[in-house]
Amino acid sequence: MDLFWLAVSTIAVGVFGCVAWFWGSNMILDRIWPPRGPNAGDNIRKANQVRPWLFLGPAILFLTLYLVYPVIDSFWRSLHNANGSRFVGGANYSWLLGDGKFRESMRNNMLWLLVVPALSTLFGLIAAQLTDRIRWGNIGKSLIFMPMAISFVGAGVIWKFIYEYRAAGETQIGLLNWIVTSLGGQPQIWLTLPVWNNFFLMLVLVWIQTGFAMVILSAALRGIPEETIEAAILDGASPWQVFFKIKVPQIMGTIAVVWTTITIVVLKVFDIVFVMTNGQWGTQVLANLMYDWMFRGTPDYGRGSAIAIVLMILVTPIMIWNIRNARREAG
Amino acid sequence: MRTILYLTATALSAAALSAGGAAAQLVIEPGSDDRINWQSLEDFKAAHPDLEGQSFTLLGPWLGADQELFTSVIAYFQDATGARVNYSGSDSFEQQIVIDSEAGSPPDMAVFPQPGLAADLAEKGHLKPLGEDTAEWLRDNYAAGESWAALGTYAGPDGEQALYAFPYKADVKSLVWYVPENFEDAGYEIPETYEDLKALTEQIAEDGETPWCIGLGSGGATGWPATDWVEDLMLRMNSPEDYDAWTTNELPFNDPKVVAAIEEFGWFAGNDDFVAGGTRGVSSTDFRDSPKGLFDSPPACYMHRQASFIPSFFPGGTVIGEDADFFYFPAPAEGDLGQPVLGGGTLFALLSDNAAAAAFVEFLKTPAAHEIWMAQKGFVTPHSGVNPEAYGDETLKKMGQILLDATTFRFDGSDLMPGAIGAGAFWTGMVDFVGGRPAQQVADRIQQTWSTLN
Amino acid sequence: MEGMAGQKSTLVWAVNISAFLLVLLWTIPTLGLLVSSFRDRDQIASSGWWQSFSASEQTGFVRTGTDADAVQRDGLYVIEGNVLAEGQSLVAWGTRARDPGAHQPGETVETSDGWQLTVAEDGAYVLTSPTPFEMRRGERIFLTTKAPPKFTAANYQRVLTAEGLGRAFMNTLTVTIPATVIPILIAAFAAYALAWMRFPGRALLTAAVVGLLVVPLQVALIPLLRMHNEIGIGKGYLGIWLAHTGFGLPLAIYLLRNYMIGLPREVIESARVDGATEFQIFRRIILPLSFPALASFAIFQFLWVWNDLLVATVFLGNTREQLVMTGVLRELMGSKGGEWEILATSAFISIAVPLAVFFAMQKYLVRGLLAGSVKGG
Repeated sequence: MDLFWLAVSTIAVGVFGCVAWFWGSNMILDRIWPPRGPNAGDNIRKANQVRPWLFLGPAILFLTLYLVYPVIDSFWRSLHNANGSRFVGGANYSWLLGDGKFRESMRNNMLWLLVVPALSTLFGLIAAQLTDRIRWGNIGKSLIFMPMAISFVGAGVIWKFIYEYRAAGETQIGLLNWIVTSLGGQPQIWLTLPVWNNFFLMLVLVWIQTGFAMVILSAALRGIPEETIEAAILDGASPWQVFFKIKVPQIMGTIAVVWTTITIVVLKVFDIVFVMTNGQWGTQVLANLMYDWMFRGTPDYGRGSAIAIVLMILVTPIMIWNIRNARREAG
Repeated sequence: MRTILYLTATALSAAALSAGGAAAQLVIEPGSDDRINWQSLEDFKAAHPDLEGQSFTLLGPWLGADQELFTSVIAYFQDATGARVNYSGSDSFEQQIVIDSEAGSPPDMAVFPQPGLAADLAEKGHLKPLGEDTAEWLRDNYAAGESWAALGTYAGPDGEQALYAFPYKADVKSLVWYVPENFEDAGYEIPETYEDLKALTEQIAEDGETPWCIGLGSGGATGWPATDWVEDLMLRMNSPEDYDAWTTNELPFNDPKVVAAIEEFGWFAGNDDFVAGGTRGVSSTDFRDSPKGLFDSPPACYMHRQASFIPSFFPGGTVIGEDADFFYFPAPAEGDLGQPVLGGGTLFALLSDNAAAAAFVEFLKTPAAHEIWMAQKGFVTPHSGVNPEAYGDETLKKMGQILLDATTFRFDGSDLMPGAIGAGAFWTGMVDFVGGRPAQQVADRIQQTWSTLN
Repeated sequence: MEGMAGQKSTLVWAVNISAFLLVLLWTIPTLGLLVSSFRDRDQIASSGWWQSFSASEQTGFVRTGTDADAVQRDGLYVIEGNVLAEGQSLVAWGTRARDPGAHQPGETVETSDGWQLTVAEDGAYVLTSPTPFEMRRGERIFLTTKAPPKFTAANYQRVLTAEGLGRAFMNTLTVTIPATVIPILIAAFAAYALAWMRFPGRALLTAAVVGLLVVPLQVALIPLLRMHNEIGIGKGYLGIWLAHTGFGLPLAIYLLRNYMIGLPREVIESARVDGATEFQIFRRIILPLSFPALASFAIFQFLWVWNDLLVATVFLGNTREQLVMTGVLRELMGSKGGEWEILATSAFISIAVPLAVFFAMQKYLVRGLLAGSVKGG
């Protein structure tokens, strides 16, 4: 019981600390430059120059310490040898260019980038639209969302019961092979079929990420003002037209957000590949390759970090696209 | 604000520590079982009177049942010294030990399942040398002691060779598991030589049955069971010196001798008539599922080559020695290679100057520390000073005997190679080989990776 | 109106059916896991989970009694017993592994040792020999049996009574709740600043947040733990809260900013004209309007922290007292893994809390809808 109260009080202290910072710092700011009295206008202007940084302060601090610093550290390590004792310049990068596994990972990551965000967003949109219109929608949502709540190791087992292979003639315990053999086909070792196995792995991530897309898109769909939809219906628009011509354009921004987020998840995809194939049979991806070099057997940070840097460079186009978006929204 | 947070967090973890300190029970009442050398425990206790109240952290790979067994041994150390051992097991041990020692918060002691990683940490200066006395003790008290001492001896940060890790708990890998009654029913004899083993394989196939169950699947480590096969075959086709040279790459991976051993493995695994599920099934069958074929009716296979741990994956209720048994993976009759045995072991290394942790190494030298685990299950030891009668069952005793009788004992080669090979390219290569790539190409490719290591 | 109603009901049906199909497709894999969590390990390995609902035919063996069980009758040595377990029915039997279904129930055959063996339909067997039996283990009788579906709660019992699960549950809550709430708070303010305040470098900062989304966790572990050790935080709750906050922030800021920028400009502008301070606007207008986005991010962050093992073992440690739920569940699975039944059960036990959170949060997703209509009016 003691532990319980200690836990509760720590939680309270932690949360209170955050609230206190924002509230307190704004109070102080308003004291220094009160938004009333003779200099009100001047004060507000001054305060407004400082306030964004009060609002952003904690976030910037965290981002710098917990993300920017490790990135710089990785970059530094990527210029060094396996145990960081010697500066090797670009040697790790030139090694990467010649490494077969790296090229395979790049190719696979590109495939993942093409397939997973598109399918997840599409299914998520369909799921959101359908479940918003039915009585048992909340239950339906929860069921589609459930894969998100299952740990990756659990997901690995789930899909083992789908893809598992047993020799022809034995009882199949994998659903897919059972279906195939029931229809008179030969059982397949799905996860070793060249190129196709990548798609079987992608399916797992689509299955998981659809729940994410659905939740975000559903919130956006519900945010569309009723009257625009009603107006369209009164004008005689069919449900399809309402969906594609009215709703989808209104939530285009959110769709882009979902797409971007899933794209980044895909860039970092690691657990699924790690648990199911560990990158064998031509399914290697960048994040798993990086893990291999960093933690498998004798670690080589130089190479692991170089792969991490490549991974981060790949996100640049998305960043540029976001800068342009932000400028447009601001203007 | 931050200070308050920090204090609360500290208070919380302090409370947690005292709450969790339930005393572990001793599984065997001291003095009750006369197979165990209780005197050695008393001597140890007398030699370490000043550890009362101290504690150290120990990180290892054992979880589940293994963790329980190891904890039962730790209890005797705690009882004798009054010091406390905080053992924690991790399935991502390799990752965690690297992160913790690099970040400056290592455990006081760690149990390494692979010597390669220990060697790497020793070179970076994270491990403390155990001293020449302990090395001497290993040479004198372990069967084939020289090779056990060598297993824990690495170059330190200054390049000096020293003993950094203490081997405790061994595995025997050169075992073939079978169901005696199935052999009896079919009239098969346990092969005495490697030639007999191949003849038996062919005979079973001729009878329209499948001789072997081989499964390489292991999630992220898929392929490793095949490396054990190749290592066992290396020891049966080449001298121990060649084997040693192979693990250090003095003998290149694509040397004809190595390629021949891989091809020899292909003789078993590459023949659809010899393996359950056909060659295609080999790389995708999980190694944990694969021995189950022995127990199917009708049997999916008759033999399964795997290390001493595998019975924990036999179907529930299987009695070893009756329902299932093992024989030594036999050596060729021709030639002078004797009876080579492939094995493995876990290594204890110190990462701090904690006195209690250092005393734990001394504890591991006592026969009692070995006999207490032997009397339970899943433990064999090369310690020649222990009482073999202490083994909990005949099976363990038989394995222990294989270990003590070996004319050549060699450690799992993939554990000795650099991680990128032994826990990477070698695994993947074997999956490729079983998938149909020629042995020469596979070996060339592994050698190529090895050459690029800096 | 009539015609429209008819059209509408067709549409309702179509929506219901397609929603049902989609949900079914998404649920089947998880259903497999759920069913498997009620089966024992041998069952999981021997048949598909979808077959567990129908009576199954199984082949296995049982052993007869040994010489100790033998009685003498009419000058013969006899061992008797029953091969069937509760609920099973006999289809065929045999004495050799290679031909386990050679004999019909009721047949009498001679075994390789020269004994007579009969197995009746009801499973009763009689093994007779003219001479005393000599065997250490009973003779194997191979059986093909039909058994009704069988499920067990033993896996759940094993996991739920696991040592330290209760304490690990508390640990997990202690980690999860602040690690969910703190990043939301910090991110909400930052997102508002990025969405609605004017200051130089705003677009660049937004893009930087997107860029930081992609930083792989693995590269951050060593430098961050080292930093924690050096500034004296070490391993503990404070460290793990900070770490989870750092890792969760980019997604939180990104999602919230994009939601907030979609809020109606007029409301905010008119509040500004009315002389409301930025802090008031944030608290009275932005926060209530952003509830759906806050709730959805809260769900994701909660899930991620709840299911995390890696960050917990690195920043909290994994001694008995520090273990989180995922750690305890992992311990149950053993060093070599492969205990699918425990894995399946664990997955369902650990999913319970996140799902409850999801249900609780759905209310707030709806509340967002109401707020939207108010602003519309």
